[in-house]
Amino acid sequence: MTDRMNLSFEDIDLGDEIGPVELVATDENVATFCELWGNPMPNRFTSQELAEKSGLPGPIVPGVMSMAIMSQALTDWAGPESLKDLDLVFRQPVPHNKPLLISATVTDTRQEDGENLVECDILMLGEAGERYVGGTALISLPSSGE
Amino acid sequence: MTMELEYNRDLYGVEHRAGPFEITDDLVQIFNRSIGETNPMFTDEATARAAGYAGVLAPPTLVTMLVRNVELPDIELNFGIVRFHAGQRVQSRAPIVAGDSLTASSHLKEVYPKTGRTGTMVFTVWETTFTNQDGVVVADVQESYASRE
Repeated sequence: MTDRMNLSFEDIDLGDEIGPVELVATDENVATFCELWGNPMPNRFTSQELAEKSGLPGPIVPGVMSMAIMSQALTDWAGPESLKDLDLVFRQPVPHNKPLLISATVTDTRQEDGENLVECDILMLGEAGERYVGGTALISLPSSGE
Repeated sequence: MTMELEYNRDLYGVEHRAGPFEITDDLVQIFNRSIGETNPMFTDEATARAAGYAGVLAPPTLVTMLVRNVELPDIELNFGIVRFHAGQRVQSRAPIVAGDSLTASSHLKEVYPKTGRTGTMVFTVWETTFTNQDGVVVADVQESYASRE
């Protein structure tokens, strides 16, 4: 894993790994998120009963929140102003209160319109390897001299 | 075999607007708390101001939460019983900071079928552009919803 402190474009090589970062979306995290999101509770994101009525085994993490968590892993690595594009596919319901492992792999580096761009594949996995969310990210990094 | 999809194609080119949405420091801080965000550029006004911003930076996906405030019409798709949120994309165009006031404009981007191992699904993609109080486009968000039989 590349050191995120003073990360610059020249530090990055194809195949570099970011993470895995492990975190848990708790019931409380999801409830706070839903309240801010304006999704009336209880709902299938917060209630066992309503989740089951939707055909889910239990309450799930909203896709919007999964995206926020994955974005955070990238900005922790590359800096708060670095993320240009995050494009995700929600493959499976994401559970509460279980470890979520977020990792990314650098697939391309290029300079375009004066920007240093790093493209990554990004994944959110469960502890048994469940592929919850996958996608790509585009990150902009400064040069070492900047 | 080509799939004949029926839906309201008159929706193409129609913009659905909402806002303004005030990006307050409180909004950013609650968002931070819900995901455990601790980066001082997102949490600490003094740090953000020292970096040249007027307030804390909003994490880049915060705008995705605002999309649900845009009232989008039913596209009257003639396919599917089950509908779910299949994907999402956010493209950051300019920084969003506490104190900004954003407006949203959404349109139907595309509707297309895709056949895979589990059968055919139809994807409906809406695109929302967020613009700040100075007329600067700050982000584009695409939300994709899948319908299946």
